[in-house]
Amino acid sequence: MNKRYSKIVCGGLLLSVFMVIGTACSSSGNQVDGDPSETIKIGMTSALTGPYSEYGEGNKRGVELAIQKWNDDGGINGKTIEVEILDDQLVPDTAAINLQQLLDDEEIVAIIGPAGSGPAMATVPITEANGMIHINPVAQTPEITYPNGTDHGPRKNVFSFALQNDVESEVLGSFAGEKWNKIGLIHESTAYGKTGMDLVEGVLEDKFSIEAVAREEYNQKAPDMTAQLAKLKKAGAEVIVCVGLGADLANIRKGMSRLDMNIPLVATNGALSLPYKEGAGDLVVGTIGTMIGVFGDDPLSPEAEEFAEAYSEAYGKDRYWGDRDNPQLFMSLSVSNGYDAANVLFEAIKNADSTESSKIIEAMENIQNLNGVNASYSFSETKHHAIDIEHIGLFEYVKEGDEIILVPYEK
Amino acid sequence: MIDFQFMLELIFMGICVGSVYSLIAHGFNITFWTTKVVNFAHGPFLMFCSMLILMFLSIGFPWIVAILLEMFSISIIGVILERVSVRPLVKSPTSMGWIVATLGVGLFLQALATKIWGAQALAFPAFIFESTDYVPILGISMSLQYLLVLGTGLGIMLIMELVMKKTIWGKAMKAVSFDPDLASVMGIKSKSVVTISFILSALLAGVAGLLIAPIYGNVAPDFGMNIMVLGFVAAVLGGMGSSKGALIGGMTLGVIEKLVGGYISTSAEHGVAFAILILILAIKPEGLFGIKAVQKV
Repeated sequence: MNKRYSKIVCGGLLLSVFMVIGTACSSSGNQVDGDPSETIKIGMTSALTGPYSEYGEGNKRGVELAIQKWNDDGGINGKTIEVEILDDQLVPDTAAINLQQLLDDEEIVAIIGPAGSGPAMATVPITEANGMIHINPVAQTPEITYPNGTDHGPRKNVFSFALQNDVESEVLGSFAGEKWNKIGLIHESTAYGKTGMDLVEGVLEDKFSIEAVAREEYNQKAPDMTAQLAKLKKAGAEVIVCVGLGADLANIRKGMSRLDMNIPLVATNGALSLPYKEGAGDLVVGTIGTMIGVFGDDPLSPEAEEFAEAYSEAYGKDRYWGDRDNPQLFMSLSVSNGYDAANVLFEAIKNADSTESSKIIEAMENIQNLNGVNASYSFSETKHHAIDIEHIGLFEYVKEGDEIILVPYEK
Repeated sequence: MIDFQFMLELIFMGICVGSVYSLIAHGFNITFWTTKVVNFAHGPFLMFCSMLILMFLSIGFPWIVAILLEMFSISIIGVILERVSVRPLVKSPTSMGWIVATLGVGLFLQALATKIWGAQALAFPAFIFESTDYVPILGISMSLQYLLVLGTGLGIMLIMELVMKKTIWGKAMKAVSFDPDLASVMGIKSKSVVTISFILSALLAGVAGLLIAPIYGNVAPDFGMNIMVLGFVAAVLGGMGSSKGALIGGMTLGVIEKLVGGYISTSAEHGVAFAILILILAIKPEGLFGIKAVQKV
């Protein structure tokens, strides 16, 4: 019996090891070959498979749509654009190895970075040392672009098209601070969750002199958050502010209902994602979330209209698009950010009339008021991020007949 | 001063969460009875069942047909698991190959699910009860879906105890577990008993997948693995092979987790599960209700 138990324990340990390494072992490429003198080649590493591939696959689609658009229009100064995309499954080490592989290819002139803060932080030091221009399409941690804080200068080579934590937290914290005094905070235990909630706490303290009644954290995909929520309830929270992803938020919302916590849930953009809506069902009504507001406009801007048409033609009205006539709000962070990032990069290469990184970087810093889907883009030597507070909106789930829809929140 | 309402909330939720672990621990027990094998593919089986139900529902089948088709499909997979990865390896009593083999089948199912249904979490619809259906007990809202899992776990425990102690089938399983060759000599079809135990275990995974998935609301390919580990701790805590142990072990684990989370740190919630695993193996390896094996020399 004891020998049998030893085997069982060994099995348990093996299981744990496999669970850790299970998602970190595969990568796939998507390479297009052509005459180097007639092509401009871009490198990209992103999560194309694995449990966190929603952003990576979406970004890939956005970049490919932009490439198709430019190539249909004759490419960049007559040269066809190619992209080599490697799969990192959102694993930092894999992303760093992929990046090294891309940098070893002398034809590659620019890098579009990974779809998450962990792998982005693992790759920016490499491109920074190399001097290669690095586009950050989605990772939200501000340190990716501003390593010494947003009040200091950016990395010379990194340009961000992401909804940065500091911008989102400013909106979230200001909204919560204006409306409630007893605020309970909960966040995932990742770099994204921790830095995001630190920033929210900072806004509450600095602007409203409010100290949160309690702050809790959870691991991504934790099956149950009852203990955290019970503590927030015990602390007397009048509202729950959360920094986290959609599936976890659904779990939190269900837990709140189980504990009879009839207080509002205000959260980051994960609250507007499909996994949240599908996972929490009718309980989503009343949840308020922050998001880039472009797909909430009626009518859509001409750039958003053009993007939507191109997307539906290429992929149909699928999961990324959502279940309504116009693209869902979340598409601005999963697809159109990649589309804009690639378009602006190509514009800079065109303006630089060169594939040297230093000249592309200079051209990027000179871009002013270039209309994209998510925003009108302007960069400078000191400003390397694109999305600001004015691009962010607050949206709320409301019930309209039998349907649950997202509408701009009316303060 | 102790806040009793807070403590009760933690205990009740611990029992609910623990009932999920119990349901998984029951699945471990059945194969353990006949082969002394812990099926580490049980978690992915559970996930695969949920995914199959979703697939059959999306085709347009009603719930009952989707469940029957899922049960039939997972039974076949259970038989394949036993024939391909367990039977060849349990012949040698010192072999540990079954650990890697069952784990390998689990990882294969996980990869297969990713290939077929994608890596993203898919929404699982409410089954029997909505996520908003609760019943107040001592001022605390108890989810009816959780209570359904708890009731099912209790029911399975009673049936298993009855089968093992009162039926010829239970005696046959005990005989096969003790010595399959001797059992064969006595006229028991050992191989069939083992195969049927794997089918029953797969069916239990099917029941668990059906009842647990609506609680989480989402099902992803890694869904089963995560909760299987905690179900395994519950089985060891209660005593591997003990139905009563599976139920009590699961609930004890759930309650301890929630009390640690509530009063010490939520970060330590799952860590404490593994601390319990180490402690129980060091102090009482047969678990709370397991039978101490005596080896005659």
